[in-house]
Amino acid sequence: MPLDADFAFSQGSLSDYADCARRFELRYIQRLRYPALEVAQALEYERRTRQGARFHKLVQQHALGIPADILAQSLQDDAEVARWWQQYRARGSADLPPRRHAEIPLQTQLGGYRLLAKYDLLALEPGGAAIIVDWKTGARVPPRQSLARRMQTLVYRYVLARAGAHLYGAPIPPERIQMRYVYVAAAGERVSFDYSREQMQADEALLLTTIKAASAAKAYPLTPQESRCRFCSYRSLCGRGEAGDLAEFEFEEEEAQEEALSVDFADVEEVEF
Amino acid sequence: MSALDSERPAALRPQQITAAALDEKIWLEGGAGSGKTSAGLARLRQLLAAGVAADSIALFVPQRSLAEPYLQALRAESGYSGGIVRAYTLGSLARQTVETFWFLIAEGAGFAQPQALPNFLSLELVQYFMTRAIEPLVLEREYFHSVRIERARLYSQILDNMNKAALVGFPISEIGSRLKAALGGGIEQAHIFDDAQTCALEFRRYCLAHNLLDFSLYVQLFRERALMLPAARARLSRRFRHVIVDNVEEDNPASHAFLEQLLPGCQSALIIYDSDAGFRRFLGADPENARRLRQYCDRALHFGTSQVMSAGVSALSAQLSQHLSEADAPLERESDAAPALHWEAHRFHPQMVDWVARQIAELIEERGIKPRDIVVLAPFLSDVLRFSLRERLAKRGIRARSHRPSRALREEPAARALLTLARLAHPRWEYAPAAFDVALALMAGIAGLDFLRAKLLADTLYQRGRLLPFHQLRSAAAQDRITFAIGERYDQLRAWLDAYIEAGGSDAIDIFFRRIFGEVLSRAGFGFYGDAAAGNTAMNLVDSARGFRWSLEFMRRYDDSLDLAADYARMVDRGVIANFYLRDWVAEDEDSVLIAPAYTFLLGNRPVDYQFWLDIGSEAWSRRLYQPLTHPHVLSRGWQPQAVWTDADEAALNRQTLRRLFLALTRRCRRGVYLGYSELSESGYEGRGLLLECIQALLRAAARESADV
Repeated sequence: MPLDADFAFSQGSLSDYADCARRFELRYIQRLRYPALEVAQALEYERRTRQGARFHKLVQQHALGIPADILAQSLQDDAEVARWWQQYRARGSADLPPRRHAEIPLQTQLGGYRLLAKYDLLALEPGGAAIIVDWKTGARVPPRQSLARRMQTLVYRYVLARAGAHLYGAPIPPERIQMRYVYVAAAGERVSFDYSREQMQADEALLLTTIKAASAAKAYPLTPQESRCRFCSYRSLCGRGEAGDLAEFEFEEEEAQEEALSVDFADVEEVEF
Repeated sequence: MSALDSERPAALRPQQITAAALDEKIWLEGGAGSGKTSAGLARLRQLLAAGVAADSIALFVPQRSLAEPYLQALRAESGYSGGIVRAYTLGSLARQTVETFWFLIAEGAGFAQPQALPNFLSLELVQYFMTRAIEPLVLEREYFHSVRIERARLYSQILDNMNKAALVGFPISEIGSRLKAALGGGIEQAHIFDDAQTCALEFRRYCLAHNLLDFSLYVQLFRERALMLPAARARLSRRFRHVIVDNVEEDNPASHAFLEQLLPGCQSALIIYDSDAGFRRFLGADPENARRLRQYCDRALHFGTSQVMSAGVSALSAQLSQHLSEADAPLERESDAAPALHWEAHRFHPQMVDWVARQIAELIEERGIKPRDIVVLAPFLSDVLRFSLRERLAKRGIRARSHRPSRALREEPAARALLTLARLAHPRWEYAPAAFDVALALMAGIAGLDFLRAKLLADTLYQRGRLLPFHQLRSAAAQDRITFAIGERYDQLRAWLDAYIEAGGSDAIDIFFRRIFGEVLSRAGFGFYGDAAAGNTAMNLVDSARGFRWSLEFMRRYDDSLDLAADYARMVDRGVIANFYLRDWVAEDEDSVLIAPAYTFLLGNRPVDYQFWLDIGSEAWSRRLYQPLTHPHVLSRGWQPQAVWTDADEAALNRQTLRRLFLALTRRCRRGVYLGYSELSESGYEGRGLLLECIQALLRAAARESADV
């Protein structure tokens, strides 16, 4: 089964391909939903994921003009998210350029496919800096080299350089772009990556190679590194071990997806009573 | 405003739209198949090509399937970099907006916990919470005891009334008085409307007390509060600078009111109106009210005749429509409908189904028609009809897809198996499954196990709510019949369940589903191994159970006596939840014959070569559903408060409904219509509905004409 011509790549799908071609095939080509657990401590994993989503929603609400004190009052039931909020307030956004866009998706074309990125926050100053802020709620900060190689770092900067002109008022020079990870659960630690024309060319080559490989592959083999299967929900399909341990899991915020309309009353079919 | 009537060929019509300036607001009206959506797509491409920021363009449709042609076109658009064009329905927009600005509006709206998060109720959860909120009242005061409909159906009509109030824009406290004034009837009927009113108010009180938001409440909050906030208005103005509204006639007054607020500030707009449509009245569609939006447009265009229908179909369309609009008028005979109309009468329903399958095979095999260009339509699609037709087509090697937007999860074998296993794994629920269900679960869960052997296992080894080990099957003959390989898998499944029970079980039923799926059922040798459909069904069940758990966990702050997992299993069994499950994950085989309810096909908005209309004797083609607690017209915007709904109104409505349906179906038909008729319906009754009456009149007229010649 080939990849749909209108498929949109994202950092998530590219990471999946880089990790395991079979996972990419199952998730994006066969679109197989598979409910096996990612980690053994399912409820704790879920709690952390929901806290992350709640924090991101708060930041978006704040960016849209809801006063911080009103938002803070809503956190009385979750001390952990309240701490992250304090970190955000203290260190998160004070030094950012003034023109801000929260939860904004952008897309460009590469290798005949769309490439999507959904940003937590873009802070821009026409003619000045263009800063990508990505809030992380995991407690562990990965090594800088690991973050530098991460598909998210590559895709987010590249897509902004290619697709952000309408926000910036002109094409954004790569050297104006900075990707900033902010770890609110690790005392607000920041890891930043600047950008350049050379880096952009190198990233484009790597992204293009990956997109071409993922879209034109004749076969999608299992990764030889079984350690990558520990947190993969397809592992029972592939006969690869048990659910991994939460302590070793590195939390990632939600994958950028194309926005879907929610199902509601308007989608109900008339049924015979 | 200038009006321009167009009879240009369809291929040239989009040019009229793209010739318009980028800051024009255009009203575009025409029948189905006249090229309106193509014009909308052309406008969208034109805006993007001109450098308009994609995230300032909004698509607004009454139902998400109607945005699909635009989204497909956008996905296929090459060379574009920038933002994303967003598509909205009123519901999606209202929910997003209310959720985002919740903390600014909750207190004023009367919620008991305005600083706590809101809990938006899905379609299934709203039914559940309605049951929780009003059932004690219904039982205590013996409400609705004279109405012979399942209670879940009654509750859904109360919700329907509340939704109509929000969409039309009247207070929910007026539901009862409006219904009584128009439909009052006797004292008993008046009591029923009073009870429906009391239940609606009680449910609203319950929602406000528990931070629950059903569709009616978040639409009302959106209209009355969120849109008053400057920050919300600014955000919407940015996103709706350029707007394309399609099928505005299928939308409701709340959508129209929102667009009325928005349009003066939009830079450009294209509003597309399908003449003679408005099928979604039961969901509040108000085609007359939609016309108010025309006044906000700089000019109006009209796309004329359909470019889809052949001369024969066009004649059929005109004659059927004319028969219903002016019954006494002589029928026009500009061209002959006969070549487009095919029919055969049968005594029994299965004979009709056989005939349909034969005709479809002939079209595909002898006339080279593609399966995707054939559709089989019925007013409602029963499981029996769907199954029997698919089976007959499959025997002829013809692929068919049967589209029903929603389906109860418990009808899916994989979900049923998981629910039965959950009951086995939780003896504390005191809700042990029947042996028959255990047999079905074993058959679904163990690869290679057929029903007879599964039943043998269940009948002998399922005792007092537990599964016994395989070796306790004393008969060697029975062991041989089942085989030791199967027996080993059975023991693995049983051992897993025993270990789960010994460990005290889990209080999260969705986690149970995920564990048993991942640790047993999806492994080699078990029934879900490599089965994509089972995986998807299991995932839907997990989603449903998790949504239920999250909402109920949320409720525990108010009521800690809830037993989530057991409650979930019981509610699924009762059909209260997991009852509307959109199967949008299904990768449909598009090159196949579509079998669908008529209105589902219409809202897909795709023409075909041939249509089969089944059960043409059925009154359901024209008659409203029996809904004793609600009424789409009396609760519509155009209804005069003191008017009375009469039998004559009902008869006129039936004719109007059928006429619209004829027009809509034939305008989506290129070459011909096959009529499936049996004297006795699927349930053994003789049908004499209005559709049959029209067809008979048409055929009699054609016979007379032929005799005259």
